[in-house]
Amino acid sequence: MNSNSTEPVLRVSNLTKAYGDRTVLSDVSFSLAAGERVGLMGTSGSGKSTLLNCLGGIDKPDSGSIEITGNFIQEKTADELCKIRRETVSTIFQFFHLLPTLSARENIELPLELIGIHIDERNERVQNLLEEIQLTHRADATPDELSGGEMQRVAIARALAPRPKLILADEPTGNLDSKTGESILDLLEALSQKHDTAMLLVTHSKAATRICSRTLKIHDGALETSN
Amino acid sequence: MKLQTKNLNLFSKTTLRHWKREPKNTLLLITVLALGVGVFLSIRLANRAAVSGFTLFTDSIAGESDFIVRAPIGDLPVSILPEIRDALGPLPVGIHPIIETTAARTAKTEASLYRLVGVDLVSLNNAVYLEAKSDHSKTSPPSNQPFDVKLGDSRLVLIGETMAASEGLKVGDVLPLILDDRRIELEISAILPNNPLRASIPENLILFDLPGLQKLIGKPDKISRVELKIPPGEDRQRILAETKKRLSEIAETQFAIDTPSNRESSAEQMTAAFRLNLTILSTLALIVGVYLIFQALEASVVKRRPEIAILRSLGVESWRIQRAWLFESLIIGMIGSAFGILLGYGMAQLAVGSIAMTVNTLYFENTTTAARLDSGEALFAFLFGLGSSLVAGAIPAREAAATPPSQSLKSGVRSMGLPILRKPIIGVVFVVAAIALSQLPPIRGAGDLRIPLGGYLGALFWLLGLSILAGLLFPTVRKVLMGFSSKNAPLKYAASQFRNPGGRHRLTAAGLLVAVGMAAGMAILVASFEHTLTGWIKNLLKADLYVATAGTSNIGNENLIREDTWKVVAARPEVEGVDIIRRQFIRIDGKETWLAGSVYNQNSDRRLRLIWVEKPTDPNPENLNLDLPNKTIPVWISETFGRRFSVGMDDTIELPIPDFEVTGTVKGIYADYGNERGMVVVHRDRIVTWFGDESVNNVAVYLNQGTDPETARTAFKKEFPNLVIRTNEKLRNESLTIFHRTFSVTYALEAIAIFVAVAGLGMALAGLLIDRKSELTTLKEIGFTRRQIATATLWEGLGLGIVGTLGGLILSLALGHLLIFVVNRQSFGWTLDYQIPLMSLLSLGALTIATSGIVAFCVGWFGAKLRREQEG
Ligand SMILES: Nc1ncnc2c1ncn2[C@@H]1O[C@H](COP(=O)(O)OP(=O)(O)O)[C@@H](O)[C@H]1O
Ligand SMILES: [Mg+2]
Repeated sequence: MNSNSTEPVLRVSNLTKAYGDRTVLSDVSFSLAAGERVGLMGTSGSGKSTLLNCLGGIDKPDSGSIEITGNFIQEKTADELCKIRRETVSTIFQFFHLLPTLSARENIELPLELIGIHIDERNERVQNLLEEIQLTHRADATPDELSGGEMQRVAIARALAPRPKLILADEPTGNLDSKTGESILDLLEALSQKHDTAMLLVTHSKAATRICSRTLKIHDGALETSN
Repeated sequence: MKLQTKNLNLFSKTTLRHWKREPKNTLLLITVLALGVGVFLSIRLANRAAVSGFTLFTDSIAGESDFIVRAPIGDLPVSILPEIRDALGPLPVGIHPIIETTAARTAKTEASLYRLVGVDLVSLNNAVYLEAKSDHSKTSPPSNQPFDVKLGDSRLVLIGETMAASEGLKVGDVLPLILDDRRIELEISAILPNNPLRASIPENLILFDLPGLQKLIGKPDKISRVELKIPPGEDRQRILAETKKRLSEIAETQFAIDTPSNRESSAEQMTAAFRLNLTILSTLALIVGVYLIFQALEASVVKRRPEIAILRSLGVESWRIQRAWLFESLIIGMIGSAFGILLGYGMAQLAVGSIAMTVNTLYFENTTTAARLDSGEALFAFLFGLGSSLVAGAIPAREAAATPPSQSLKSGVRSMGLPILRKPIIGVVFVVAAIALSQLPPIRGAGDLRIPLGGYLGALFWLLGLSILAGLLFPTVRKVLMGFSSKNAPLKYAASQFRNPGGRHRLTAAGLLVAVGMAAGMAILVASFEHTLTGWIKNLLKADLYVATAGTSNIGNENLIREDTWKVVAARPEVEGVDIIRRQFIRIDGKETWLAGSVYNQNSDRRLRLIWVEKPTDPNPENLNLDLPNKTIPVWISETFGRRFSVGMDDTIELPIPDFEVTGTVKGIYADYGNERGMVVVHRDRIVTWFGDESVNNVAVYLNQGTDPETARTAFKKEFPNLVIRTNEKLRNESLTIFHRTFSVTYALEAIAIFVAVAGLGMALAGLLIDRKSELTTLKEIGFTRRQIATATLWEGLGLGIVGTLGGLILSLALGHLLIFVVNRQSFGWTLDYQIPLMSLLSLGALTIATSGIVAFCVGWFGAKLRREQEG
């Protein structure tokens, strides 16, 4: 599972975005190597989520380029973007965003169905992921029957299911108590290592960056020099 | 005062901001309300326009007449005028004699019928109705010489502006018509402008000078009626009473005195049967509207439940929250209802055309074709919208405000909406109540009105019950969808929406259920009617050729085939024999009905055959000529007559024949689906004796064996170019065409209801997507394409469509049964065979489901653009 370290999973160059005359991202450049876990720290309102939305192709930057596994995502059609979101990039959120009408198992399974993975393999993968997040016994519960920590574990499993190259995590512990938050971080670390997935972990707390090999700092939309 | 300020604060701090934040949702809410109110109002307005068409003209021919004097049967002699004048003495009463008949226009394929009205133009010159505006230079004559009509010229006529416009006629044009069996040519001498202050001149009205029309129809000493008008003034009431008294003194048997309000109510009775169907339809439309409104408002309360909980936890009293909600519902209700009135007015214009056509076919007045916005109806619709929106807002708000805050605050808890919808047992109770209610006998109203109240209530309970029970279908639909979903993520996501459907899903499906149930129920009624009628017509029409005057498909046709004409027909060499019928308008107990006399073909196997409801002991029509031992005459009556006048076998009927004292005894009752007024049949020789006139309305011709009807028809047509001659097959088809036209209005209204329900479904889905915009964003993040999101919405819409349609089809079986065995039987006395038009029902269902899918896909396609708000 060793990847070519010369080819970064994510390369962001001179990214700029403004809402009206309010600049939210200015000249952001950085890159992530395969399997690398990088923290992105900044105060609330500094532009972290906006950056993640651009990376996930949900938002469009005003200028600059985003390259994910060699694909310049601004040049992609809507369908190609969808394919990238399905197979290459996954997102995890502070508010979990599980689909409320689907059970835990179905939530995890959904991305696999989108890719069109055969039912046998699908079942096996989902089962393995359920075991990895230790929720086999709650597999058929719907989100309103789960606790916050359990919901986030399901969200992590859902993000990992399609075996993405990159996970974008937007304050995944922001809505959890510190003990649960810690266990979620452990899980993220273990699973990203196991699946060899790069991760950009957005947080406003220093403590969360303990699972990252390095940390970028964002302030008023601009990266502070670091590394 | 203080409390109110506080309350308003709550309103402006929460409600107003929600509206600003969620303009789409608010707009949707208002649109749904408007749609609900609109469909209700449109059906009421269209209905009203059709029915009011009857009375418009009666009221306006001499201004509003106060009394109408007419003979109980046939015409009045002109000599009645001086009698009335003498009796009234010095009373200031305007006396306007009127003669009236009908004629057909042949230029059109389906000969349309005109009313020819002869009035005393000189005496009417001052009547408001004919006031011509002086600036109307082209169409109206100069004011000092209002009508340039040579008195007594039977060819010069006046028509209204509407007719002139629609037929492209101008002054000096020749207008050919078929009057009885003759062709006549009239010349337009003036065109009367529409007066905005009064009812317009009906499109089918041709105005003559009285002597002119009398001469034209060969009745120089007859008039149809006399209208009396008392001028306004302080003495009016006294003069009214005095006039009535003096008229009654001389009336005896020679004439009957009517007031316009009498006539109006008899017109209402006449159309009662027809309006009944409209009433059912508008009530059902109302329920569709209520469901839509409930669905929309309930959803908005559900969505804001956490806010209610926060307010409660901050110490705001629950009544204050409810009051703010009511205030919100009130405002939404007012705006939505106001738009609904505009919408309803628009839709009424579409529906009224077909309603008017139906009424014209069934009854004899031509009606106006534009629905007016009646202020009473508008107010009613407005209050209806407001009321429903208040109730719809109040019920869930009350529930929400009563729930402990902790429960509502728990994130992720989805509200389940109106609890009643989730209790199948209540649905079962409603259905049982429905079955019990439909066993009740009808309630007797004024006159011959019978209201099948139990039937109506039964229908209502059926649809409420099934609305609740339809919820039981959701799990099945989910299972079926899941069955197909193994490789289809959008389908799986859609199916999951039915895992625990909320109020919005249930109410939307219920709205569709009612619309489909009503449309399919009417389809069952129509099919049963058609089946019964086809059998009846087949049995009834045994002759080879049918000879009639032009315009016969209109039951008000008063044209006759004169003796010298029909006797020539009967004497033609290819004719084996004829059935003839003479119909005559007659008023019994103040109600209009028909008196008819027939002579039948000698060959008893080939003659018109009545279908007996009560078979006479002596079915030979010739023997109707024999008097009974008790000095009465034998008569046969139609089933409808029996119901209207409450007479049965061996009961007696006084027939108001001038100069004769006639009592009939009912000796047979036959089925007649073609005529709602009923008919008394006597031997034709009696009619000839009573009226001294051998004219007939129809001749049914039996040809010699082996004669080709088409060839014979061509030969007949050559000899009698002004008569309409139909072959058996043609008449049969025409009868069915008329029948279908009668129901065309129900098709139009059904289409409106289905349209509204499907639009409601689209809006409900739009609302759901707006509520789920965070989920939609998640789907996109997982990798759903726009098409897949639209497809998921499509499946969800199909699921709703299937639940609504299946439930609706079940409902239709019950409604059809009720309409046929309870409502129709109780109110018309008609017995129909219950027929299920399987193909129509299936295609209706398929069409509804397919439309739901298409609408849902479009909603999903545009909804896919929705995004979750900024968070975190
Ligand atoms: N849709 C939007 N319209 C206007 N301003 C926005 C929008 N989204 C985010 N912003 C602004 O951009 C800035 C960065 O927001 P965000 O990326 O969410 O910050 P973070 O996630 O770091 O807290 C904030 O000041 C926010 O107000
Ligand atoms: Mg953020």
